[in-house]
Amino acid sequence: MTTSTLPAQQTRSEPMQLATFYVADMCLALEIAQIQEIIRQVKVTRVPHAPSQVSGVINLRGEVTSVIDLRQVLQLPPIEPSANTQTLIVRFDGESIGLVVDRVGDICAIDSSTIVPLPANFDGADGRFFQGVCQRNAEIILILDLEEALSR
Amino acid sequence: MTFDDPELVAQFVAESREHLGDVEGQFLQIEAGGQSVDINLVNTVFRSVHSIKGAAGFLGLTTVGKLAHSLENVLGKIRTNELVPTSYNVDAMLKAADALNKLFDDLASSNDVDVSQHVTVLDLIFSGECGDGTAAEPAKSGDISAPAQAAKLQAVEPTAVSSPATAAPQAENSIRVQVAVLDRLMNLAGELVLGRNQLMQTVNANDKSALDSVAARLDQVTTELQEAIMRTRMQPIGAVFNRFPRVVRDLSSKLGKQCEIVIDGKEVEVDKTILEAIGDPLTHLVRNSIDHGVERPDVRTASGKQARGTITLRAYHQAGQVRIDIADDGAGINATRLRQKAIEKGVITAEQASRLTDRETLRLIFHPGFSTAEQITDISGRGVGMDVVRTNIESLGGTVDVESVPTKGTTIQITLPLTLAIIPSLIVGAGDECFVVPQVNVLELVRVRAGEVNEQIAKVKDAEVLRLRGELLPIVRIDYVLNIPKIARAGHVSTGPRPISIVVIETGRRHFGLVVDRIVDSEEIVVKPLGRHLKGCTCLSGATILGDGRVALILDAAGIADQANLSTSSLSTSHDQNAHVGVDIQAPLTHTNTDAQDLLLFSTTPEDQFAIPMSLVARIERVSAQNIKIVGGHRLLQYHGSNLPLLRLEDHVTTRPLAEAERYYVVVFRTAGREVGLLVAELDDIRQLTLEIDSLTFRERGIAGGFVLNKTTMRMVDTVELAQLAQPEWFESAAAPTCDDDESEPQILVAEDSSFFRQQLTHFFEEQGFQVVGCEDGQCAWDYLTNEAHEVCMVITDVEMPNMNGFELCRKIKQHDELGKLPVIALTSLTSEADVQRGRDAGMDDYQMKLDREQIMTVVNRLLPAKSRKLQQRRRQASDEMASACMSV
Repeated sequence: MTTSTLPAQQTRSEPMQLATFYVADMCLALEIAQIQEIIRQVKVTRVPHAPSQVSGVINLRGEVTSVIDLRQVLQLPPIEPSANTQTLIVRFDGESIGLVVDRVGDICAIDSSTIVPLPANFDGADGRFFQGVCQRNAEIILILDLEEALSR
Repeated sequence: MTFDDPELVAQFVAESREHLGDVEGQFLQIEAGGQSVDINLVNTVFRSVHSIKGAAGFLGLTTVGKLAHSLENVLGKIRTNELVPTSYNVDAMLKAADALNKLFDDLASSNDVDVSQHVTVLDLIFSGECGDGTAAEPAKSGDISAPAQAAKLQAVEPTAVSSPATAAPQAENSIRVQVAVLDRLMNLAGELVLGRNQLMQTVNANDKSALDSVAARLDQVTTELQEAIMRTRMQPIGAVFNRFPRVVRDLSSKLGKQCEIVIDGKEVEVDKTILEAIGDPLTHLVRNSIDHGVERPDVRTASGKQARGTITLRAYHQAGQVRIDIADDGAGINATRLRQKAIEKGVITAEQASRLTDRETLRLIFHPGFSTAEQITDISGRGVGMDVVRTNIESLGGTVDVESVPTKGTTIQITLPLTLAIIPSLIVGAGDECFVVPQVNVLELVRVRAGEVNEQIAKVKDAEVLRLRGELLPIVRIDYVLNIPKIARAGHVSTGPRPISIVVIETGRRHFGLVVDRIVDSEEIVVKPLGRHLKGCTCLSGATILGDGRVALILDAAGIADQANLSTSSLSTSHDQNAHVGVDIQAPLTHTNTDAQDLLLFSTTPEDQFAIPMSLVARIERVSAQNIKIVGGHRLLQYHGSNLPLLRLEDHVTTRPLAEAERYYVVVFRTAGREVGLLVAELDDIRQLTLEIDSLTFRERGIAGGFVLNKTTMRMVDTVELAQLAQPEWFESAAAPTCDDDESEPQILVAEDSSFFRQQLTHFFEEQGFQVVGCEDGQCAWDYLTNEAHEVCMVITDVEMPNMNGFELCRKIKQHDELGKLPVIALTSLTSEADVQRGRDAGMDDYQMKLDREQIMTVVNRLLPAKSRKLQQRRRQASDEMASACMSV
């Protein structure tokens, strides 16, 4: 399965299901089909000499799966794992990869036409990791670009 | 072009490839058959090509159809005996088959590919214009067909290059499985389901007692299932071997050599992953054999060999592994030239080269940047080959070695594991983490006791080394190299050194010790790949899941060595006391300093420590003091139905009397063909030691010398002298003097680099009535021998010596016109069968253990020229008389 890349300017109007989650004070989202499952924090085996964003590997039903710390990817200060910490397992380029997030939000349906490019003054994290933003009530949802976040 | 039914096309491609795969070998067989065409075989090929043609027509693949059609035409003529399958014709057909194969790579655009070149050639052969010309008059081929041959060569080149690529199993996604294996899998899956049901029931019923039997059943089914699934991955190695007849044919004709290939063991099965990876290294080795190994036909006939060389490819199982031998009957590898080349290319220094044995020298071919072909050809010899072969094979968990006999041929031996998926491993702990070391890399485990840490572990310029049997082994701390945080051990206040566990690891030519916190277990593990983010971790080769569900990482030995920044040279073992700075490449760890001896350390009183070489000890007994009888002034032990004479050291040498005890140890050794027991109080240790023996201070009859170990002075017992002192009558029969007076003094030359052994031998032979000349290495001995002023009647030489080793010295002597008849005896602590054979090959007259004087003397007497012997006996008698005269005074 490959990532479905959303064009930055979505013109057609299609309903989309987004799964939201939080890293630092940001609300991020992935299309629900990109997420294989969500697991509670499990025992992570540290990997020596691994790139900084890799927290380690876990045993996901017999498959050795790398776990990526999204805070590290987005260059945010690290925090201690809490009871809310969860790992999203995404399928990327034929491989399962875990993404550690501060907490998981909910699922929301939006219309793809409401997705707009990042505001020019966007700060807080590197803009290239996001495909666009959309709004739900007062909340801004940043749509994560898996390709960008995982291909480094 | 697009296809309406991709599934049908895929099936067509698969089927056609299979046909073409077989066709290649069949063409070669047809060619080999020559005039007497095997019609059945031709029919088979014809049918294969025909079905390709038919299906191609059906699918609208005109190019494939056209080519297949032309090919079929030629085959038709061969079938009806109208055309002889000459080398030229077969060549054209093979190329056509290759072209077909290539078309299948991209079938959609195949109609746009130009195959007219092949079609024209085939059509010319078919119409009898080209093929018959060369076939009917093979005599002309020398000159007239030269252009044709040139054309052929040009054409062969791309195929020769591409054939391994196309033939390499392109990591196929489908695999053929025998129905029987599949049935078995199905059965086992059924049993697994049954087992699960039972388990659920038992758990529900909360029946603890039944749980055991359910668990046992599940365990058995799982194991069987695992084996059955492994079986599906096993493929016959013939799939790779089959490409070689073609490689050999094309390459040998290109190089103007004649080679045939003998393939054995096609049916040996190996894991699919290994099969896929072994193709390229094997191709390289086979090409090397043709290019470097087999000589040109004229050279071969001149040296009395058949013009046609043979390359043997053999696969077989050995000790749970797969062995592949690639042997040629060519010129072999000249170790001397290899040494020179290695020095020229700066791979090793001259000093290192002189210390390499021939076998070790041969292994230099696996070094990066090494090629000995006089001319660099485009086949091989760019010097990038063998080290890549070695790396490839080692990455599969295999090993590669070389054996070569000059003028007889060379054999490359590859050992591969049966499968890569499950490997026996050692699990080690560091901090609170576990790591896996594949057993193939583990040489041994060493535990250094807390009290010995400071002695056994030393620092050489910041690098830590372990003293292991007289050698220095670099050590790497796992927590340091893998940045493992130290865990605070509760209740463990570090007060001085703790015991250390060291895993001695071998990776290719490098050895090192890996210091780990603990050795956990030894387990068969299932290898799991690591994700894309972790590909850069060179210290790791994968991961596995342990019994408790935790992930453990598999260490990559070579990666760790690189990480620890240990270069090849600094990693190889270096001799301890001899302090050679330059180091052997590939010196195997077991190759210990030959002067190192296993010594038995014992004491007669708490103050008197002695040592005796283990090689002289027949066995050790523990006896009760009551069983020792004194008969006629001799101490005897009733023992195995006979009497064993017992010695007490204080009766013969200066020492305190043996401490009285109820039980003693008896160290039994043989001398003068009889057994003698030495009574001792305590056995302290057996240690392998490289000794500097002070042969002056403590020297007396029965004591060879002294040395200091752990601040204690030890005395080395000379068993022969001791027995002579105790039982002089045993040694009387040896001398039987006759008189004959007109010879010059015969000398025995002793070449030995250790001054201790040299003095020992000198002293010993002098006692036996010889004049002895000691030389410290082979070169020195050779210089002495070639100086005509001396008359030497025998050479006794150590094997491992600097500058010129014993084998080389012997070879030089045996090749010399005048010295050729001189007996040469090798004295060494290496007496494996292989070493003895090497000695014999070098021309050694005999091969003896160091310090086994009885045996040495027997051999010396046997080999000594008659007149020298007489002289020696006379001299010996004289010295004995002197001795007895002194005694009586």
